[in-house]
Amino acid sequence: MTTRSTRSPRRRTVIALAVVLAVLAGFIVRLVDIQVVNADTHIKDSMDTAFGASQTLYGTRGEIVDETGQTLAGSILEYDCQLDPLLLTQIDADIANDKSTADPWSEVSADIATITGQTPEDVRKIVTDALAENAESRYAKLERGLSTGQYRELADIGAPYLVCLQHPARTYPDGAVAGNLVGFLGVDGEALAGIEKSQNDCLRAENGSLTFQKGKDGVTIPGTEVQKAAVNGGTLQLTLNRDLQWYLQQLIGEQVQDMAAQSGSIMVVEVETGKIRAIAEYPTVDPNNVDASEDADRGSRLFRNFFEPGSTFKALTAATVLDAGGQNPLSTVVASSWETFANGARVTDAFTHEAHTYTLAGVLIDSSNAGISKFSERVDPATRFEYFEKFGIGAGSAVGFEGEQSGWLRPADEWDSQTTYNTSFGQGLTTTVPELAGAYDAIANDGLRMPLSLVESCLAPDGTVVEPALPAPTRVLSEQAAAQTREILENVAVQANYAKQIEVPGYRLAVKTGTGEKSDGNGRYKAGVYFTTMIGFAPADDPKYIVVVTLDEPTTVTSSAANAPAFQKAMTQVMKTYRVMPATTAPTLLPKFG
Amino acid sequence: MSAVSQSAAVLAPRTPSRQDAPNRRLRVVEEPSRRRRPRLVYGVVALLGALTIGGAQMALSILTTQSSYELSALTTHVRELTWQKQILYDDVAGLSSPQYLAANASALGMVIDESPSYLRLSDGALLGAGQAALGASSVDAIGRASVPNALITDTPLITAPDATIQGAPVETDVAVTDGGVANTPPPLTDGLPTPSTH
Repeated sequence: MTTRSTRSPRRRTVIALAVVLAVLAGFIVRLVDIQVVNADTHIKDSMDTAFGASQTLYGTRGEIVDETGQTLAGSILEYDCQLDPLLLTQIDADIANDKSTADPWSEVSADIATITGQTPEDVRKIVTDALAENAESRYAKLERGLSTGQYRELADIGAPYLVCLQHPARTYPDGAVAGNLVGFLGVDGEALAGIEKSQNDCLRAENGSLTFQKGKDGVTIPGTEVQKAAVNGGTLQLTLNRDLQWYLQQLIGEQVQDMAAQSGSIMVVEVETGKIRAIAEYPTVDPNNVDASEDADRGSRLFRNFFEPGSTFKALTAATVLDAGGQNPLSTVVASSWETFANGARVTDAFTHEAHTYTLAGVLIDSSNAGISKFSERVDPATRFEYFEKFGIGAGSAVGFEGEQSGWLRPADEWDSQTTYNTSFGQGLTTTVPELAGAYDAIANDGLRMPLSLVESCLAPDGTVVEPALPAPTRVLSEQAAAQTREILENVAVQANYAKQIEVPGYRLAVKTGTGEKSDGNGRYKAGVYFTTMIGFAPADDPKYIVVVTLDEPTTVTSSAANAPAFQKAMTQVMKTYRVMPATTAPTLLPKFG
Repeated sequence: MSAVSQSAAVLAPRTPSRQDAPNRRLRVVEEPSRRRRPRLVYGVVALLGALTIGGAQMALSILTTQSSYELSALTTHVRELTWQKQILYDDVAGLSSPQYLAANASALGMVIDESPSYLRLSDGALLGAGQAALGASSVDAIGRASVPNALITDTPLITAPDATIQGAPVETDVAVTDGGVANTPPPLTDGLPTPSTH
């Protein structure tokens, strides 16, 4: 039965059937592929094709405000405008052939130039350059960052080859006020410096989108909108006070110029909370015009720099021996201006004097290196190191500012004989202004050192308030030792040779100066130039605010006396800003010599 | 495939049916029952329904189109107002800054006083030094403005329209004419001036 003749037609049927089945299977596979496997892509393609238009819904980047809610950084809209050189030449050709009645480019370019503030030649050059590069060019950047007013004027010209694209931008209404801290954004909206960068998570906005189908006359066809809402950024509140910050910036600017210094800074800290109320620096940056300032001025030197503090550390040593060495402000040592110690170390004072029987108060009033070195022997070096650590020296601040440095301090067992004494008056170690302010906060705040903070809170658009997590306050001194140290520092303010210069009539002040030596980069100290510091708090009997004034290499007056006028004015302004009541009692004078 | 098998199935019985043919009997076909004519009213209702639906849809469509034009016009209006708002915001940008306020105040001859004094109301006590202002400001906000603000560099001062905060030098009449003399009011000779009232 299975002969060749009978088999052949059946085989043909089977083959035909198989081919039909194979084709059918191919179609099914493709169908499943389109409808199931790649369905999303095709739906998206169809949406893109059908839903002709889409626009970005820009979220607004959050504001940065000061402690009273004044805006330090806000958001505006800017416009980037571009030209279509090809269309422009075509229209000009039409005008030449009397086919168009539009204004020729030569006239329009002059109008554009008046609006954008360029010269007509510049505007024309943009087009000729673009055409020279590519004769078919359809894009030439006219100008970036134009204001809404300029954009509207350009739009009123009605030139079809001129298009402007809107994008959000940042504005800083107060200019350089707190520019050192607030930071700035790049042209592409990326946060580049300062709080803008470090708090970007709070401030950042998320863009949304709106896609829709448009009718012929540009009307959105109802029911075709698909909206993804934009999410605005949060409002960031700082602990700064804008008006105080301005005054101090103006003040330090004048002082740096008067003293022909490299730079200067003023920092104000609220004693009870550790909140930073102002960090004024000069030279600094105007975030509205970043290009106008040098690279080094575009941030905060105060957080970035560390320095050898000098005599301001005598207060820390005094507090240590008061707290752990059983001393009191009237304890005495005998010290001349040139002392050699048992381990071979030599310590000299800045001025020559005979051997005096100094009280601890007297040592700080005269800022005697030899005197404080002798007092430092009343506790062992390990204890002194432990107190430095408790004061927060070498640990940076809780602010965690972008690029913040910390001081540097060797452990006590690595101190050589000279360093053992030098550290008691602030040499052989480094610190930063925030560390120093934190250490003095422990003295001013009854022995409890508060963590410094610059950010008050972040208010999210949904109403939630996030406050930054701060470390717990550190107990550094007993209340009694802190009070005794304050008494000594108040006597410094009253009895030191610069007392008249820093007097704030009606108020009781506590103060200490420091004249830190600067490294010349070759392991030696620079001759004749110093990093000068003046730190103090007021009122001395119930401290409210700490003020630190620093100058880098003042030359008109090279010592820390250079800081006195600025310190006096800064402290006065702080007292006024916060309505601190004048004192009703007089300070108790302590004797310099026992 | 099914078409092939169906045609095979149809082909198969054809030969036997011919064999069965003699067994068939002829019979009179019954008269087909007369079809009932559809009632007109149903048709009319269906037609009217369809027309109503179509009409309603058209009306709705017209309405939504109409409102979408209205919406478009309003959106344009909102956009124009937003532009105006932004233009106005740009115009006043920086005018609220402390530099500008201080420069204006300085141009008027106002000074930033030294230490403050407070009058305690309960017992009339004067707290603080109680000194008069010396006429010299503790900072020079206009002559040595050292806190730049690019937003107001070219903005004229309100109190001295010919000057700007940093660009054009400020000729403060007060500072010049007083020649550094204390800018305090003239001393009172006849007691405090009082307004005449009836």
